[in-house]
Amino acid sequence: ADNEPNDNILYIQCLIRIIYVFIFKFSLPVSDPSRGPHFTGCRSREQETFRCWWSAGIFQNLTEPGALRVFYRTKNALSEWQECPDYTHTVKNECYFNKTFTHIWTSYCIQLRSVRENITYDETCFTVENIVHPDPPIGLNWTLLNVSRSGLHFDILVRWAPPPSADVQTGWMSLVYQVQYRVRNASHWEMLDLESGTQQSIYGLHTDKEYEVRVRCKMSAFDNFGEFGDSILVHVAQIPSKESTFPMTLVLIFGVIGLVILLVLLIFSQQQRLMVIFLPPIPAPKIKGIDPELLKNGKLDQLNSLLSSQDMYKPDFYHEDPWVEFIQLDLDDPAEKNESSDTQHLLGLSRSGSSHVLNFKSDDDSGRASCYDPEIPNPEDLASLLPGHSGRGDNLPLVSRSSLSIPDLGVQQTSEVEETPIQTQPAVPSWVNMDFYAQVSDFTPAGGVVLSPGQLNSSPEKKKEEENEKKIQFQLVSDGAYTSENTARQLSAEVPPSPGPEQEYQTFPTQAVEGNLWNGEYLVSTSDSQIPYLLPEATPAPILPPVSDYTVVQEVDAQHSLLLNPPSSQPAICPHSPNKHLPAMPTMPMGYLTPDLLGNLTP
Amino acid sequence: MSRSLKQVAVLLVALLCLDLHSRVGSAPICAHGPSGCHVPSLADLFDRVIQHSARMHSLSNDLHSEFEQYFLPSKNHIGKIYRKCHTSSILTPNGKENAQKLAREELTEVILKLLMAWRDPLFQLHQSMAHQQDFNSFSSNKALEMGDMAHELRKGVEKVAERMRVLGMLGNSVTGLSVAEAMLPISDSGEAMSNYELLYCFRRDSNKVQNYLKILKCRIVPEHDC
Repeated sequence: ADNEPNDNILYIQCLIRIIYVFIFKFSLPVSDPSRGPHFTGCRSREQETFRCWWSAGIFQNLTEPGALRVFYRTKNALSEWQECPDYTHTVKNECYFNKTFTHIWTSYCIQLRSVRENITYDETCFTVENIVHPDPPIGLNWTLLNVSRSGLHFDILVRWAPPPSADVQTGWMSLVYQVQYRVRNASHWEMLDLESGTQQSIYGLHTDKEYEVRVRCKMSAFDNFGEFGDSILVHVAQIPSKESTFPMTLVLIFGVIGLVILLVLLIFSQQQRLMVIFLPPIPAPKIKGIDPELLKNGKLDQLNSLLSSQDMYKPDFYHEDPWVEFIQLDLDDPAEKNESSDTQHLLGLSRSGSSHVLNFKSDDDSGRASCYDPEIPNPEDLASLLPGHSGRGDNLPLVSRSSLSIPDLGVQQTSEVEETPIQTQPAVPSWVNMDFYAQVSDFTPAGGVVLSPGQLNSSPEKKKEEENEKKIQFQLVSDGAYTSENTARQLSAEVPPSPGPEQEYQTFPTQAVEGNLWNGEYLVSTSDSQIPYLLPEATPAPILPPVSDYTVVQEVDAQHSLLLNPPSSQPAICPHSPNKHLPAMPTMPMGYLTPDLLGNLTP
Repeated sequence: MSRSLKQVAVLLVALLCLDLHSRVGSAPICAHGPSGCHVPSLADLFDRVIQHSARMHSLSNDLHSEFEQYFLPSKNHIGKIYRKCHTSSILTPNGKENAQKLAREELTEVILKLLMAWRDPLFQLHQSMAHQQDFNSFSSNKALEMGDMAHELRKGVEKVAERMRVLGMLGNSVTGLSVAEAMLPISDSGEAMSNYELLYCFRRDSNKVQNYLKILKCRIVPEHDC
């Protein structure tokens, strides 16, 4: 509620203010003809003198000079109305107060009177410092500051001098200036901030446009601006832009494009070579083998050399240490030696040695040209062909050469043989007591390798000695690699006594082996024949003829198994040839293969 | 560890800043005498004082304009534009020539009298403006600042006078400096002057002070065109 009357008062005061501004502000000596005589304005230029103007208005009868008079009074001790000290003669209706009559910081009241009628038409009061309108500055000029790089804009510095009438040196008047500019003949003036100095910069003007600049001033802390000074024209011609930069960019772009095209062409033309450089071909695996051309040409010597280099059919193949070294047995331990026979260890006890048995030294490449030689009858492969690795199978195929105590073994074996069939004694097969090399005598249709004890007579003397030491060459038969007892017996029975002591082969004498037959190191049956070993596995196996140390690959059957023939010295031994593919062929020199033989072999 | 050190450093800096800020007003520049210190020349002192007076005058002008906008003086005031300010009793030169003719000592005395005369009225003005709800805080702050500036200006002018006396430019006839006449701002009607009247009077008097200082400087400091 308190604010409402205040608002009303404000509103009324605002209205009165507007009227007051209209009537009493005297900003410009504009005469109003609709009124009676009145003051049109009072101004001071330098705060030392001032002038007042009036107009007769609509009262034309008062236009003659002297009809209207101006009286003034200063609000100080002297409160008398005095007449205008100086009616300007050159200017109509002007009253001029010189320095002596001008008192700053003093309130003046002036009246416009018609003396004859004694009527006061108008009165106004003011103080001199409030009616100061300084003269316009002089000496307005401009200098170019800079032009933009594009040549489209420029900046100028505008200078002027204070009006000479204003005493700024003594500081009587402190002026501030205002610069305005516009594009020529435009309607809107751009106004800059008040400047207390006598220069100002104008930025961002456009070239090729004509500008108009003017300046005015006022007293600082007062509100009355003076008149504008004369305008000056500012114009900067546009400098033609440098065209050299334009083609430069074009040249660059085209150059780059050309380079790219060249590069692409180069790549495409030299594609092959680049491919070789960047992506070298991976060399194909080189597998050494017999050059078929060589075989076709039939040069036996070369072929033999090749074969011998590859160590396919070396005579010493079975009788060399690598054969032995394939097997790693615990029997090397001398402590164990005495306890039991090696063969027992091999076959029975050393089931753990199965791994040993089969633990051929795969890295032993003696006698071989390369690891990839598929044509060497790899004893490992031979051994692995035996399906009967289980059970006693692991012990079977190969037995290391070890010097065994013969008598013990022999006795044992004898007893074993006597007591039980071999098959029921997994631990101690009778043929275990030999060390030996087995040679593959035959291949079963099922793919089993038939190993037979080698014939010592056909071996060189060295071999003979070894065989004396060694044991039986086992002949593994059938899938289980062992024949049954019956078969063994049959075998043993049917095997004719082999001639000569050379035949140091091992047999399974189902009959009682008499000690005299024992050569200690091997079991010899009465028939002194080679009998294949028997296993508990009752797999009927065909009776195989005793084979010599080496067999020759006679044929390769349909199952790609090498068929080995027994040597010709025992031709009639094998009535039950397990396979039909045993042509009776003359023994061939081991390790050599003639082309025609090869031709026979190929299925 | 570094973070706590940083915080401590920030706190120390803040304290130092606060400390410095609080002492900005009254710290003497040359505590140990003129030996090792840059003593501002008389011209510099005058410049400072003149700038100060200009600032004070602009403030008074702003306030006065605000008053005229919101509180249009009544018709009585328009008619009686003559207002008797409480400082009217002080004889002041009313023109440039009069001021130039006046002796330096008297001119200085006039300035000081004027400034002294406005010490209390300005304080009253601020008080009344702060209490009235018609003014916004901006105006009352201006009034407060104006009063402070008047106070400081008076101190500055006293220093200038002291320097002038030391330099022998002023005679010993300046005796009224220390006399602080408490002049109550009472209008001719006996009532306390309104805010508008105070502002009007102060605007005038601040302009006087500014001009007088300028004239004084021109007369004392040898410059061109003075």
